[in-house]
Amino acid sequence: MTSIPVVGVVAAASPLVAIMTPATAPLLTRNAFADGQPDPITAVLAQVPELFDVAMPFIGATLGPSFVPHRVKEIVILRTSSLLECEYCVGAHTVAAVDAGLLHDELRSLRAELSWADVFADPAERALIAWIDAIARGRGPVDATTANAMTSHWEDAAVVEITVLIGTTMMLNRLCTGLALPLGAETRKRLAAEGFGA
Amino acid sequence: MSAIAEAIDAGTLPGRVWMYANYHCNLACTYCLTESAPGVPKRALEPEEMVRVAREAAELGYRDIGITGGEPFLLRHLPKTLAAVSEYLPTLVLTNGTLFNETRLAELVPLAERPVALQISLDSPDPDVNDEMRGPDNFAKVIDAIPRLRDLGVTVRLATTGEPGRLTEDDHARLCALHRGLGVPDEDHIVRPIVRRGRAADAGLGQDFAPEQIPAELCISVDGAFWSPFGPTVRGGELDTDLLISRTTAPLSRPANLLLRLVQGRPPGDDAAIGIR
Repeated sequence: MTSIPVVGVVAAASPLVAIMTPATAPLLTRNAFADGQPDPITAVLAQVPELFDVAMPFIGATLGPSFVPHRVKEIVILRTSSLLECEYCVGAHTVAAVDAGLLHDELRSLRAELSWADVFADPAERALIAWIDAIARGRGPVDATTANAMTSHWEDAAVVEITVLIGTTMMLNRLCTGLALPLGAETRKRLAAEGFGA
Repeated sequence: MSAIAEAIDAGTLPGRVWMYANYHCNLACTYCLTESAPGVPKRALEPEEMVRVAREAAELGYRDIGITGGEPFLLRHLPKTLAAVSEYLPTLVLTNGTLFNETRLAELVPLAERPVALQISLDSPDPDVNDEMRGPDNFAKVIDAIPRLRDLGVTVRLATTGEPGRLTEDDHARLCALHRGLGVPDEDHIVRPIVRRGRAADAGLGQDFAPEQIPAELCISVDGAFWSPFGPTVRGGELDTDLLISRTTAPLSRPANLLLRLVQGRPPGDDAAIGIR
């Protein structure tokens, strides 16, 4: 396994664009602000309400509950975010992965603090992580060994959804990193309680 | 027939599309929603964009166009643009009425034959009261401009804006006598409240309105499409986004259909009852 940079949790930075608030949220986005300030991704996407209008259902369908188990989805999101060095997503999804039942060493290996090959023993999950690495880091066709391992352990629909999930996570990783979205205080607190971050 | 046209026919959607021609103004009124003044960024719509909006509005089934600002007549292309816009739909232009010197009046001559009306602001029958809100000599300039515009054959309406109860019965009677004397009939004089946005909010003027209380007129500015001309207001130099519908304005059907969806999702309101049409 190739090593990748370790992503830490840094102090909150100032976002590059205005974060919408319940007072400034455009009409089409207002439901997302009904219970107060939403997460920063939601709040910046609200800058473009017509995009928000289609993006949020898509993101919800892709990252939210589906026929692909919660644990698998969090493996995908955390691993992809770690590969893309997205501090916001790594922090937020380390907490989400804890809630999905992943173990401490599993989290550390997905965050590239340990070798995942030494931590994950299940052949389907090993094939999955190799697939994530190939999709998120690759620039051409996936090598046959990795592809065959993935399709031998996962049904076609799962391969499709997982691959879309990797791509969507990459898009969000770049959004959060490019716009310097800040990790919330509650997430920082949770990370510290779980032994991660500053 | 488009869904928009059907909604307008059914009274679900208002039939007017507004455009913010620009944001700069030769005045700096105390209650201005957009903090317009001589020194502010122009943020003007291109004339081609204004004609495009009018053409697409007509195709969608809208019935007329409203143009506001800023002071639209600071844009030297405006008379020609109005001629082109009014090829598609009847057009109402909101103006402070203070820029109509001989040159500008001559440019308006072709509009006398067009379905174009000018709505000029006058807030009091008393010059000092009016000018305190709207600037020095405003009253005199308006009183001078109205008959000259009417002599050209241009339709003139009058709008009076103020706090509820500010105008006494006597004020109102004198104002109406004034506009009748200038040839503006009662049906072309509207009295409207101040909306607490922009400079009015800073000055503690006006009333707060929820979106469902404001007529759902589609409004296009250089910043996007908004719910009503009370949408793209400015406070502290920052655009208000709470009534933003979409940043995308072309094709016009895109924000129009989003607005229709918002309107269909709201409970029946009493937006006509607050008198800010």
